[in-house]
Amino acid sequence: MTTQIKKLDGKVPAGPIQDRWKTHKFNMKIVNAANKRKYSVIVVGTGLAGASAAASLAELGYNVSTFCIQDSPRRAHSIAAQGGINAAKNYPNDGDSIYRLFYDTVKGGDYRARESNVYRLAEVANNIIDQCVAQGVPFAREYGGTLSNRSFGGAQVSRTFYARGQTGQQLLLGAYSAMMKEINNGKIKSYTRREMVELVIVEGKARGIIVRNLITGEFEKYMADAVLIATGGYGNVFYLSTNAKASNASAAFRAYKKGAYFANPCFTQIHPTCIPVSGDHQSKLTLMSESLRNDGRVWVPKKKGDTRKPQDIPEEERDYYLERIYPSFGNLVPRDVASRNAKNQCDAGFGVSQTGKAVYLDFAAAIKRDGHDKIKAKYGNLFDMYQRITDADPYKTPMMIYPAIHYTMGGLWVDYNLMSNIPGLFVLGEANFSDHGANRLGASALMQGLADGYFVIPYTLGNYFATEKFEKIDTNHPEFEKAFSSSKERFNKLLAVNGTKTVDEFHKELGLVMWDNVGMGRNAEGLQTAIKRIQEIRADFWKNVKVTGTNVDVNTELEKAGRVADFLELGELMAKDALIRKESCGGHFREESQTEEGEAKRDDENFCHVAAWEYQGESAEPLRHIEELQFEFVKLTQRSYK
Amino acid sequence: MGGNSTDTMSLNLKVWRQKNAKDKGQMVDYKLDGVSPDMSFLEMMDTLNTKLVKEKGDTIAFDHDCREGICGMCSMMINGQAHGPEAETTTCQLHMRKFKSGDTIVVEPWRAKAFPVIKDLMVDRTALDDIMVAGGYVNVNTGNPQDANSILIGQENAELAMDAAACIGCGACVASCKNASAMLFVSAKISQLALLPQGEIESAARAQAMVAKMDELGFGNCTNEAECEAQCPKGIKIENIARMNREWFKGVIGNR
Amino acid sequence: MSSSSCKKCATSTSIGKKQIMGVTGLLLCGFLISHLLGNLTLLVGPDAFNKYSHTLTSNPLIYGAEFILAAIFLSHIVMAIRLIIENRAARPVKYHMYKKSGRGGTLASSTMPFTGLIALVFLVFHICGLKFGTVYSTNVGGVEMRDLYRTTIEYFQDPLHVLGYIVAMVALGFHTSHGFWSAFQSLGLNHPKYMPKIQCLSKLFGLVVAIGFSGLAIFCFIKGGH
Repeated sequence: MTTQIKKLDGKVPAGPIQDRWKTHKFNMKIVNAANKRKYSVIVVGTGLAGASAAASLAELGYNVSTFCIQDSPRRAHSIAAQGGINAAKNYPNDGDSIYRLFYDTVKGGDYRARESNVYRLAEVANNIIDQCVAQGVPFAREYGGTLSNRSFGGAQVSRTFYARGQTGQQLLLGAYSAMMKEINNGKIKSYTRREMVELVIVEGKARGIIVRNLITGEFEKYMADAVLIATGGYGNVFYLSTNAKASNASAAFRAYKKGAYFANPCFTQIHPTCIPVSGDHQSKLTLMSESLRNDGRVWVPKKKGDTRKPQDIPEEERDYYLERIYPSFGNLVPRDVASRNAKNQCDAGFGVSQTGKAVYLDFAAAIKRDGHDKIKAKYGNLFDMYQRITDADPYKTPMMIYPAIHYTMGGLWVDYNLMSNIPGLFVLGEANFSDHGANRLGASALMQGLADGYFVIPYTLGNYFATEKFEKIDTNHPEFEKAFSSSKERFNKLLAVNGTKTVDEFHKELGLVMWDNVGMGRNAEGLQTAIKRIQEIRADFWKNVKVTGTNVDVNTELEKAGRVADFLELGELMAKDALIRKESCGGHFREESQTEEGEAKRDDENFCHVAAWEYQGESAEPLRHIEELQFEFVKLTQRSYK
Repeated sequence: MGGNSTDTMSLNLKVWRQKNAKDKGQMVDYKLDGVSPDMSFLEMMDTLNTKLVKEKGDTIAFDHDCREGICGMCSMMINGQAHGPEAETTTCQLHMRKFKSGDTIVVEPWRAKAFPVIKDLMVDRTALDDIMVAGGYVNVNTGNPQDANSILIGQENAELAMDAAACIGCGACVASCKNASAMLFVSAKISQLALLPQGEIESAARAQAMVAKMDELGFGNCTNEAECEAQCPKGIKIENIARMNREWFKGVIGNR
Repeated sequence: MSSSSCKKCATSTSIGKKQIMGVTGLLLCGFLISHLLGNLTLLVGPDAFNKYSHTLTSNPLIYGAEFILAAIFLSHIVMAIRLIIENRAARPVKYHMYKKSGRGGTLASSTMPFTGLIALVFLVFHICGLKFGTVYSTNVGGVEMRDLYRTTIEYFQDPLHVLGYIVAMVALGFHTSHGFWSAFQSLGLNHPKYMPKIQCLSKLFGLVVAIGFSGLAIFCFIKGGH
């Protein structure tokens, strides 16, 4: 297998890191204003990355078509991001700088991200805040009218801008409103309730997509000069995650099966503060913003299996383990570290709740210090949400939390221009792999989505158009016909199985295998078991799944089936990737590779690279290509938050 | 968890079933046992759907996505109220512990001329997007605007703008209004932007354009009953409607 | 949308109609109050009341005023009918079950069309029975004038008239208790600090209308010998 490995070129510009993006922008070719209207772009997904890209490209004059599976672009799951968005504005005068944001992000990602990408991200982050304010995003303000900041995990400065606990919503609505403006200007055509089911490649270039109209059940063909995929992550492989129910990997996975490389699929993020599972009926998990760790203290009883009420456990019998183990970052350690420690405590028998799979997040000290009202002003909506779901009042009793799948750092491989290995196929936001390495810091996902959409793609897409020649084709092209009929066939096949098990049953089964073996702690044996189990479940799925309804009109079961079929392949790829990456890094914790203190131990000698998988057909093993990572500015060190 | 309970509930459900937009549709009765009080309302519907698949029946289509009360996708009329009986709660955040075993629960889609039913409980809310297209934005392109802190916004106005901006666009205001009016939705956006210096410049024109679009789409008129406010899952206030009325009037007298 | 076309159709937009309802409603509220104050002369005695009504009707401007009042009534009614028709059309398929949350609408707010209709029917009877009722004449301070006091007292000797009057005035009280503050809301004349006070005032207004006018009817009933 190793014999066919390609060395991938990320097309990173050279020179001092501060100048790379500037120089690159100057060196890129520009499509002149009058010619822009001759180009068309398809944007799949309308979250932060997709909506901001669609709006920015339309403003430049390109003809944009957007596609989303929901009834409106405003529903994309970016909307659920709570905590905030990072930028190195240094408004609080606490020593922040672009370089520090860059440094923190590279370190937070456990040195598995491209330096140049991360620097660019840190650089344009300030523009994002300016842009969003100009759009009317109601960020939190100080009494004097200036913008307010708060702290987040993995950073020692306050650089997170926020709009209550609804920052993602407000930023998305900003991007969405920019999109609406361009619909009004006739530059965007928005297609809703449509799911991309196939990528169309003509003469080596991505030229269109096949979508399934979720209302009529019909398949439709759309052609353009470039295709942008911004469909988010694949956390729902685990069935239970904080992702929205409809969040899926299908668009990205279809592209993978058409030859796009899938990079670092095993890099998934487990968020430390989610509401624990309450029963088998559970359909998804709810996140409690990381910002809660600013004031909440995480603890477990010192005694194993302590069944007393938390209020009855005296101070000296509580173990504030994060504060104990990591005195300098305390409760604000990065997500992977916080999650792993929660798991360790529970595995060791200190967990609370009926299931033993929860730890306390306690606000008593903060309420005593700042008063009930101040805490309510900061976190009121989160506390209400917690109470609604669990029927317990976090003002009176500590919250119970447990880690859950939240974000996927892996995704389709892209170069510095956000273009995949397929010319004309660009991938933005969580759907690509580029900026967060092996672990994403809080409040960085919003930053990346908007950076890609507002400030990167408008330049790099122009360069692609200006340097390539485009054949005139239409949707009757044989490649379109082929993709059209194969998609139709695939869905008919799902309907034809007519077995006995529901789609959800398969999904849950897959999720359990993933959580147990490809979750917070991974080892060779477990991963091998997982690969085998997933293959079995997949075989069973195609024999035994029951999809009710037909191919016409709305059929939500069929929608789910299509997505789960892809998860059943992606899950295996994730396990394979995790198996080969024998080191621990960030969210990928290989139990065989840990320091004496139980921290993730990287192996820079052998794994300081991106693994990008190439599909080889149903029965063949995929190829694992490599992009070497160069660290010219940040020194590779063992990450420490002590 | 706090409210973990081993007792399960049995429910009688009356659900609107309609094959597609052209079908006439009808209420259909279902009986569902084994409902855990810790389930969300949507998880209860999932359970019913699983039962339907097992019985080889067609599942009930309903909109949902984030299931944490923010995407605005879920949209059920439960026992005659938008998102059910709980104040400031979306359907996905409504939990079955709010019901009793043996209850009969009536589940219907949003009803409005501007929200045609697509299937079962799923309605087409494109009209809300259309209103946004008419003017729900600040006319600013991506680029290099001034530094964020050079626009000072008093905390009070910032908070009021945020109150209005919290709208999730679910359409509960339309569904709960006896006139199927979209005033609360429209006013939330107009109000948010009118309260901020960035949006204030176009405020009157925006109100004119969005209101005209809303009327064109067949929503009803406001009769100041505040049922929208009462049933809004995000507690959007009707004072936003008053602000919209003011901005709109400014447009009428200010137009040349 | 061009601004000129906007202006032209302003009165046919949803908000335009509501604001016309609001303005005409407030003007009618003003009329109600002045009417009530004028009627209080009934309590003083026949001469005071007849003098008051004579002064009012003998002024040539009364025709203009009555015309304007009728126009206000009419536009209030026409707008109401248009709104009701449109509002019904906005939900062609009704709910199987529709329940108020109890946190929003009130009895007054949800019965506006009915209370309005009662007031309208009442208005017809009111004008026929009193303004165009039996004409008596009297002499007050040497001036020959209509004895409207006698007409009024006689009119209210019929208990059915009194009852009808009370029912109508209670309905009108409900109508105005929502309509008064509602007008401020429709016109955008709101402020978080004053709105609760206006709402309070609105309820008080409704109460004054209901009790004031009904009280006078009962007064006439008793005064006439019962």
